[in-house]
Amino acid sequence: MRFVFVTAWTNLKRRFNDPGGLLSAILVPSAVGFLLASVMGGSGGPSIRAHLLVTDLDESFVSQAILTVLGTDQVADMIALEKVTLEEGARRLNEDEGSAHLVIPQGFAVAWLEREAVELPLTVNPAQTVSPKLIREMLDAMLDLGDYLHKVFKDELNIIAKGVQSGQAPTAIPALSSDIAAKVTAISGLVFPPVITVQDVTPKPQGLSISMALLMFPGILLMAAFFSANNQSSNFWIEKEKGTLARWVASPNTFFAFWTAQWFTAMALTAIAAAPIMLAGFIYLGISFEKYFAALAWLTLTGPILFALLTLVQVLAPSRKVGSMIAMLIMFPLLMAGGSFFPVETMPEFIGAIANYTPNGRVLEPMKSYFIGEYGASGLFEHAGSILVVAVSLLFVAGRLSFRKALV
Amino acid sequence: MIEVNKLRKSYGDFLAVKEATFSARPATVFGLLGPNGAGKSTTINCISGLLKPTAGTVTVSGFNMASDAVRAKASLGIVPQELAIYDDLSASDNLSYWGAAYGLRGSKLKERVTHVLDRIGLTDRAGDLPKTYSGGMKRRLNFGCGLVHEPKVLLLDEPTVGVDPQSRERLFDLVGEEKAKGTCVLYTTHYMEEAERFCDELAIMDHGEIIAAGTIGELRAQVGEKDIIQLSGTFDVASMQKVIHQMNADVLVLNDNSVMIAITEGAANLQTFLNGVGSTGATIRDTRLSEPNLESLFLKLTGKDLRA
Repeated sequence: MRFVFVTAWTNLKRRFNDPGGLLSAILVPSAVGFLLASVMGGSGGPSIRAHLLVTDLDESFVSQAILTVLGTDQVADMIALEKVTLEEGARRLNEDEGSAHLVIPQGFAVAWLEREAVELPLTVNPAQTVSPKLIREMLDAMLDLGDYLHKVFKDELNIIAKGVQSGQAPTAIPALSSDIAAKVTAISGLVFPPVITVQDVTPKPQGLSISMALLMFPGILLMAAFFSANNQSSNFWIEKEKGTLARWVASPNTFFAFWTAQWFTAMALTAIAAAPIMLAGFIYLGISFEKYFAALAWLTLTGPILFALLTLVQVLAPSRKVGSMIAMLIMFPLLMAGGSFFPVETMPEFIGAIANYTPNGRVLEPMKSYFIGEYGASGLFEHAGSILVVAVSLLFVAGRLSFRKALV
Repeated sequence: MIEVNKLRKSYGDFLAVKEATFSARPATVFGLLGPNGAGKSTTINCISGLLKPTAGTVTVSGFNMASDAVRAKASLGIVPQELAIYDDLSASDNLSYWGAAYGLRGSKLKERVTHVLDRIGLTDRAGDLPKTYSGGMKRRLNFGCGLVHEPKVLLLDEPTVGVDPQSRERLFDLVGEEKAKGTCVLYTTHYMEEAERFCDELAIMDHGEIIAAGTIGELRAQVGEKDIIQLSGTFDVASMQKVIHQMNADVLVLNDNSVMIAITEGAANLQTFLNGVGSTGATIRDTRLSEPNLESLFLKLTGKDLRA
């Protein structure tokens, strides 16, 4: 076992003596991260906030009520509302200055009160994925609310509708008010908060908002892990071509020890490449440093699954050149599909579903959840078992297949 | 120290080594001599455990390479034909690493690394990366990596190929030192001079077969005490047979393009022989007169030049 560590240490020395591969594993993801941060703006980038352009052609109390609900503090955190004319809305959406354009048509209030079919035209910005989805969900929720209101206040709304159609205020306003008050009192036990409440005392991360930069950050770390893995996986061919692999086979050490040493080297290289990027990201995004070592340990432990995968590719390939080519062909689609270039949240659903089955996606998603605060360090490492089982299996197969190739 | 018994190695239908049997003792240099492709490297790779023999057994220091590979390998030092060093590790680190691979550690490892660096003449460049070395220096480091752990058996596979004369002499000294220490050295080469200079015993290989084996003296005796005259050019075989018969010489090789005879008093008889050859209308391009040696034995046994 001692020689396994000697070999891993020697491998690291070799990387430091010829640091091109290691530097690329640090610099390329850093450069991508820097570019993204520049595009997103400072302070960790903006939170995901949809920009809804609204044209109110109805100008009724119902349309006003919709706009009021959309303008409440809770909704405004997610959706920025701006009233525009019909032409301005269309133009600004074309110029990518909004997430969606909602048109409340003339006669909307009457149609709603009469429960007649009515369309609320919503044009979404195809260049955005997350924000229009957010708006759609919010509007769906509001339409559901409207339906419930109709069911509860059917009679009162009919009276109001008749008044609106005639252009006159309802005559029996006091009686109407009294009926509404009575119904509100009757259902208050159901809709107002109960006496017993559950208070969530989980400490919330201070000042951490789910920004696009935060969503991209784990992907950049995985990119560093991928580059490290790719460099280390080609070591099999380098050692074979140099003749040092034959020297190893001729020595009294087992081939299992060789691959164990390669695994440890891959872990160390992942940590070395990811540590500075992670540090910079933590500072930039304001993530609590309490999470730093757990996140680095997670990546160091599970990131080498990429090394195992790429090693299997290299071992199966007939030559180093072909192996490197296939590794590249696999690496970049995996980076894409696994959420390293673009967060899964911004992808179409079917690609997002694929991400969960990619090795990098399996490493990335728990780390992202850990950063966001969905669970703690113990929750993070609960996901390690399955990843390690797959990684060790892949490396075992690669090791078995490589033995024949290691011989002269 | 090394026992090779009926070793066979085949690749599909191609038989690379055919029933090779020989043994090498401690404190001797055993040579495997043969042209390129004779099966020397295949044999040495089977001995080192790099190749699994198709049949036969290999025993190193009393340990069977098939059933007790770890102990057999632990007593071996290998200097492969191709360089097997890390270009991105200094000479010192290369030696330390390969020493550690055989269980050396601590002060013993340091002491061995220092000693070997001195012996291979790289002390001054110990901290430099081999990619800055000359070819000869790399060869010396390759050699050092094979003997840093003081193996009982040293396998040298064509260690002087592509080596400058200065480095070659240094490597020869090292081989001599290892032999003097009691190491069993197995030395493959296609250079007849090297084999004659070092080897206490030899096996000559061709087409995967051992065609002759024994001490240098025993092998020379197979050629006889007579001098060797070699001619190349264009010859009429029937006429040449008459000339050779008149000279009372032994035919070793005779064909349209080359002639080799064994003759007493070669220097004194050379001119007479050449005159006789000239009278047959032959065209002579090259003439060589030599004492009997391994090359002439190889020619006698195979009908072809060892360097071919």
